[in-house]
Amino acid sequence: MAVDFGGIKMKNPINTAAGTFGQGWQFEPFIDVSELGAITTKGCAAEPWPGNPAPRMCEIPGGMMNSVGLQNPGVRGFAEESGEYLADLTAKGTQVICQVAGHSTEEYVRALELFCELCPWAAGFEINVSCPNIAAGGAACGSTPEGAAEVMRACRKVTDKPLVVKMAPVRVAEIARALEAEGADGLSVINSISGMAIDVHTRRSRLSKPTGGMSGPLCHHIAVRMVWEVANAVKIPVNGVGGVMTGEDAAEFILAGATCVSVGMANFADPTASVRILHELEAWAESQGVSDINELRGAVIC
Amino acid sequence: MPQPSSARLHEFRIVSNDKIAQDIFSLVIEAPQLAKTIKPGQFMNFEVPGNAMSLLRIPLSFARADADAGTVEIWYAVVGDGTERLSRMKPGDTSTVLGPGGKGWGVPAECSRALLVGGGIGVPPLVPLAAELARAGIPFDVCLGAKTASELVGESELDALGAQTLSVATDDGTEGHCGFVTDLAAELLQQGGYDYVATCGPGVMMQKVAEAALAAGAYCEASLERMMSCGFGACSTCNVETTEGMKGACMCGPVFDASKVVVW
Repeated sequence: MAVDFGGIKMKNPINTAAGTFGQGWQFEPFIDVSELGAITTKGCAAEPWPGNPAPRMCEIPGGMMNSVGLQNPGVRGFAEESGEYLADLTAKGTQVICQVAGHSTEEYVRALELFCELCPWAAGFEINVSCPNIAAGGAACGSTPEGAAEVMRACRKVTDKPLVVKMAPVRVAEIARALEAEGADGLSVINSISGMAIDVHTRRSRLSKPTGGMSGPLCHHIAVRMVWEVANAVKIPVNGVGGVMTGEDAAEFILAGATCVSVGMANFADPTASVRILHELEAWAESQGVSDINELRGAVIC
Repeated sequence: MPQPSSARLHEFRIVSNDKIAQDIFSLVIEAPQLAKTIKPGQFMNFEVPGNAMSLLRIPLSFARADADAGTVEIWYAVVGDGTERLSRMKPGDTSTVLGPGGKGWGVPAECSRALLVGGGIGVPPLVPLAAELARAGIPFDVCLGAKTASELVGESELDALGAQTLSVATDDGTEGHCGFVTDLAAELLQQGGYDYVATCGPGVMMQKVAEAALAAGAYCEASLERMMSCGFGACSTCNVETTEGMKGACMCGPVFDASKVVVW
């Protein structure tokens, strides 16, 4: 079941989506986290971010919508709180991918420099280019090929460690090519999809912000299509993210061309979901008569 | 490793699920390990089957736990699709629950007299607190509020637990004082003698109770409600703005030191 996600050597293809798995230790009462191929930790910036006011979440049919606003304790606070646990997890063979957040190219670079200094155990870093860019009036840095490429180019100079990019669900093929050209090692496809939910009785948004990011099964088939487009557009490996609730959902991403798969919202409904999905994926691979999961990557017939 | 949540995944079986007031049900579940470990003010997160489009759990407080019988009793209001589905579950039905989660009531060791103020479906978590006070021999008074008499819960249970005075307010005057429960609480607090106040109900109600408690020099705790995704500290969605920054209601609450709450 071992896979190589852009230099991040995973013992199996199951990863977790940033922001849905805490820093890993929150799940230890429920599962042995070290069964997973990798975990991706919640995004952290160079300095702490308070996040948005309540309410930050509303449930919508087939998923949920959030406007957490990347509340985080800053890289230093993250490393102090969770560093020891994550170093141990790495020693047990589960790769730790740390997500990097920023409001500008300079902030991404500063956060990545701090991660490299304070988290030497990290297997790689995931640049979340969907954060609102203050200089660009709040639009995501990664919503254009130029913006995404600029962040990637600056981050590439900081480290030789694997750098993957969490892509916004827009213009994925052309942005993927731009990121590959700037030296990205892998791509996580997709981030949450922007949506809006209104309480018609109060006429207010159901979140403290007008819009939020939709996640869960409602995103799954959009994500599968985007993974397939990206996998066909670039040579670097893809991590499929979006509404994986079962091993078959994970299998779909692999057939569409993903090397590994992140479990997201399912972790909230069922804290044992990631390990269950791993076992279901193993059973599926066996049912397909292959000895190596890599043989099934991109094996969709169309 | 930082301390994870005390919540564990339990299977439960429904013993009873009966209407006890207007749109309010009492659910008794059999979950022995949960019944043994849950503490007053903690909460549970319920998986309610029946709608494939609705995936998140439903966080609920509890009114009584019986470690010997292995049961936990929950009073919940039917407010949406999830609680509507829960109200249709029958004795013998099974599902899963995550709990016990969060930080419950923290009665100060030196507490000599307490005041409990509950509004609407905020009353249930005050019931196990009253039982704890009764066991510790700490005298307490209770103020209960509801929109109307048919939505009032907890009166007989809190009376049976030994409340020295129990006063009721309804918005429409169908029972007790016509007006808000905060009027009753403020009056009692002005008379003095309390060093601990516990409150649960609508945010604006708790805020007023906290202000009156502060003026009376009594330590006040409030049990807050937020939209919650996981209930064990992994999602950062149930935030409460406090004087010490954003705190997750599922790990740092749901019971907070009221003097530190900024946004109710």
